[in-house]
Amino acid sequence: MIITILYYLLVAFVVFLMGWNLLKSKKWQEEVLYVIVLLPFLLRLLRLK
Amino acid sequence: MIRKTIIITLGLILLVFSGLSFYKSRHLKEPVVIGPGVTQVKKLSEYFPAIKGSANDANVYVLEGAKKGGALLVLGGSHPEEPAARLTTWILTENATLEQGRIFVVNSANRSATTVTRPSGAYPASYTIKTDWGGQTFRMGDRWANPLDQWPDPEVYIHYPTRQNLAYMDIRNLNRTWPGRANGTLTEKTCYALVELIKKENVDIVIDLHEAELQYPVISTIVSHQKGLDVAAMASMVLSDEEFKMGMEKSPLELHGLSHREIGDHTNAVPLLFETPEPFLDATRGRTDEKLLLEGKDEFVVRAGKRGLLFEKIDEKGWPIDVRVGRHCSTILQVLDVWSQDHADKAVALRNVPKYDEVIKKGTGAFLRDPSKADPKLIYYE
Amino acid sequence: MSMTTSATIILAAMVAAYIAAKIFKISTELSMLAAALVGGLVGGAGLPARHIAEGAFTYLDICLIFITATLFMNLLKESGGVAFVVRRILKRFHKHKFLLFIMLAVLMLIPGMLTGAGSVTVLIVGGMVATVLGYMGIPKPKAAAIVFVIAGLSAAAPPVSLWAMLTAAGVNMPYVGFFLPLMIPCLVLALLTIFILGWKSKPVDLEQALKELPEPPARMNWLKIVLPFLVFFALVIAGRIWPFDFPIMGLPLVFAFAAAITLLLSPVHIDFLDVSRRTVHQLLPLIGTLTCVGVLVQIMTLTGVRGLISVTVVTLPAMVVILTLFLTLPVSESVLMWGAAPVLGVPLVLLFNTMNLNPVIALAGMSVIWPLGDAIPPTAIIGRLTVETVGMKERYSTFLKYCIIPAVLIILVGTLMVIFSKKLAFLTVF
Repeated sequence: MIITILYYLLVAFVVFLMGWNLLKSKKWQEEVLYVIVLLPFLLRLLRLK
Repeated sequence: MIRKTIIITLGLILLVFSGLSFYKSRHLKEPVVIGPGVTQVKKLSEYFPAIKGSANDANVYVLEGAKKGGALLVLGGSHPEEPAARLTTWILTENATLEQGRIFVVNSANRSATTVTRPSGAYPASYTIKTDWGGQTFRMGDRWANPLDQWPDPEVYIHYPTRQNLAYMDIRNLNRTWPGRANGTLTEKTCYALVELIKKENVDIVIDLHEAELQYPVISTIVSHQKGLDVAAMASMVLSDEEFKMGMEKSPLELHGLSHREIGDHTNAVPLLFETPEPFLDATRGRTDEKLLLEGKDEFVVRAGKRGLLFEKIDEKGWPIDVRVGRHCSTILQVLDVWSQDHADKAVALRNVPKYDEVIKKGTGAFLRDPSKADPKLIYYE
Repeated sequence: MSMTTSATIILAAMVAAYIAAKIFKISTELSMLAAALVGGLVGGAGLPARHIAEGAFTYLDICLIFITATLFMNLLKESGGVAFVVRRILKRFHKHKFLLFIMLAVLMLIPGMLTGAGSVTVLIVGGMVATVLGYMGIPKPKAAAIVFVIAGLSAAAPPVSLWAMLTAAGVNMPYVGFFLPLMIPCLVLALLTIFILGWKSKPVDLEQALKELPEPPARMNWLKIVLPFLVFFALVIAGRIWPFDFPIMGLPLVFAFAAAITLLLSPVHIDFLDVSRRTVHQLLPLIGTLTCVGVLVQIMTLTGVRGLISVTVVTLPAMVVILTLFLTLPVSESVLMWGAAPVLGVPLVLLFNTMNLNPVIALAGMSVIWPLGDAIPPTAIIGRLTVETVGMKERYSTFLKYCIIPAVLIILVGTLMVIFSKKLAFLTVF
C-alpha cells in the first residue's frame, strides 16, 4: 500500500516536471509531444486508467 | 502563448473524453437476475475477509438441490476478455435449477480485470448480447487485473509457493496466481479466497471456463488435473461423439499457478479447465471490434489457418459467441453427467441449462433475463 | 471490400501521412502520431479519444523506469562520480591498452544495461570515453562508431532490454531466461568492436588527458559511487531471494532509491529540481517515441493494419524471413524505433514458435540486431546524438563507414542465434 502511494507520488512528480517544461517550452512540436506524453500520467494520477 | 493555450486545450479535451470513457466502462453495471435455482448469494469475502471491499470481492451464487450430493464450483471471468466464459455463468445463475447437490457460481472471478481493457489491444469498451427485450451490455475486460487495483508489478513474478519465474504482469493474472497467498497481492488473495471457498464448502469439482486464440495449442479441450482424467476423458469422448469435437489434456506437472494444477495439488477438489476458440485473441486478427469478438469471423486468421499455423479449424463461418457459449454449457452438463454416474453419493443433477444445439438455435440472449421486468430483490450486480 | 484491401488502403494512408509529416520536418514521434490519427480517420474510427489515450498508456511503466534510471545516472554524473571513474580507470590502466579497452567497454555497457536506452550510455559516458579514445589517436568518426555500436549493445543487454521485453509481452511470453542469451553476445561484441576499431591506437598521453577531462570533486570516493549501485542490486536481489516476504517494489522505485542515495552522498551541492527537469527534457524524444508508438500500435490493431503486417510476415517462407532479418530489423527500427518490437517482433516470434525454434534465444538474437537501425535515417536518433556528443565534424557517412565491420559481426551473431536457437536453449537458465 505504501509502495503504491509512492508510485502515485512519483507520477505526480513527473507530471509536475513535464508540466513545468511544457510551460517553459518555446517549440510547438515539443509542446504537442509533452501534451501527449502527459496524457497517460495524468489519467493514472486521476485514477481513471 | 495562444498556440500553447490551443495545444493544452486540445490535450485537455482528449483527457476529458478518454477519461470519461474509461470511467464509464469501469463502472458499467452488469445486472444478474437470479434464477429459481439460486438459494443464496454470498460474497467471496465471507470465505476470506481480507478482500472485503476490494474490487475482487465477487458475488458467489449458490444453487442448492433438495437432495444431498456433491458440490461444483464454476468460475467465469478468470480472464474476462474471454466472454463465452462469463456469459455461460450468466446462463447458469439466471436459468439453472438443481435437483441434487450444490453449485457455486462466480461470474467475475477476477472482477478487477473486468474493469479495464488492454493498452495497444484496441478492445471495445463493452459488448452487447442481443435479446428479445433489447440487449444486455457487459464490460469487455482484460486478461490481467486493473493496475488501479494492483500496482506496481515486480520485474519478475515469482510464483507462490513454487518460486517458478513468470512474466511480470502475470502477477495480475488470476490463472497464474493459484493457489494464492493470504498476504499477497489482490490477485493472489483472490485465489486464496477461492481456495478457502473450495475447502470450506467441500467442493468436489472446479470448472474454470476460458477461451483461447487459435494459435494457442491448448484449445477446444478439457485440461484436467491427473485426479480428473477419467471424468475429462469420458466427457470429451461423449461430446466428440454426440455434439462437437472436444479434446482432453493432462495438466502439466511443472507448469505452476494455473487452476488445473494448483487446485488439484492443494485441495481435495478435481479441477478442470475448458477452452473454446476465440479468434478475437489471435495476434494475426484484422479489424478489432465488437463484431469480431461476437461473430468470431476474421479473414487474416483464416489465412494463417490455411498456412497451417493454427491449432483449431476456422473458415468463413468463424466462431460465433453462441457456438462458444453452447460448447461450455454442454461440456459442463456432460462432465456432471459422467461425474454423477461414477459418484452416485456425490452426484450433482443440474436442470434447465441449454445444450449446445439449443444455444445456437435460440442464441445466448434468449437465456438472459430482463432486469427491467424483474423483482428488484432478485437483481445483483457484478 | 475484403479485409486485406481495406487494411492495405489504411496502411498506405498511414505511410503517406508519415512521409508527408517527415517532409514537413515534423519529428519522428509526431510523424508516428500523425500516421496513427490518419489511420483512425481512414479506418472509419474518427478521432477515437479512448484508443489514443489507451495506446499512449502502453509503455507507462517503462517510461517510469526510463525517467528514474536516467535521473539516477544524471545525478551520478552531476556528483562528479562518472568523471572520477573515468580518471581512475585511465590512471590505473593507461599503460595497458588491453585492460583499458575492456574497462571502457564495460563502463559503456552499464548505463544502457540498466536503463534499456543506448542514448543514456551516449549521454552519460559517451563524451568522456570518446575523449579518452581521442588521446589514443583514434579519429573522431571511429570513436563515434565505437560509442554508438557499444551504446546499442548496452541497450540490448540485460536486465532491461526493451526490444525483448516489448516483444515478449506481446506474445504473452515471460521475460525470463534472457540474461545469458543477451549478456554473452552483447559483451563479446562490445569487446570485439572496441578492439577492432581501436586496433591502430597508440598509448594514452596521460598528462594531457587528465588535464582535459573534468576534475571530480575532492571528496569523491569509490564508496560514494558504489553504494547506490549496491543498494540497487541489493533491492533487486532481495526481491528475488525473498519474494514472499519482501514488498514488491518494481524497477522505477528501486532506481528512485538509488538516485536518492546518490543525491545524499554527493560531495557537491546538486540542484535536484533542475537536474530532474533536465532529465525529463532530455528523455522527451524517447518517452515521446514510446508513447506515440503505443498510440500507433493501438490504431494499427484497431483498424486491422497490425493483423495485415502480422499475417503477411508469418505466411512468408521462413528461411526468407530469417535471412532478411539483417535488413528488416534495422530498417523497422529506423522507422518505428521500439515500435518495431510489437509490430514486427511479435509476428516473427510467433513464426519462430511454429518453426519449433527457441523463442527466447531467437528473440535475444533479434534484439542484438535491432539497435543497429538507430544510425539509419529517417530517425537515426542515437547515431546523431553520438556524433554530436563526440563532437565529430566529418560527414555522417564517414561515421557510418566505420560502423560497417562491427555491424556485420552483430548481424552474423544475431542471425546465427536465431538459426541455432534450439541448440543454444541451454543458455536460458535465468
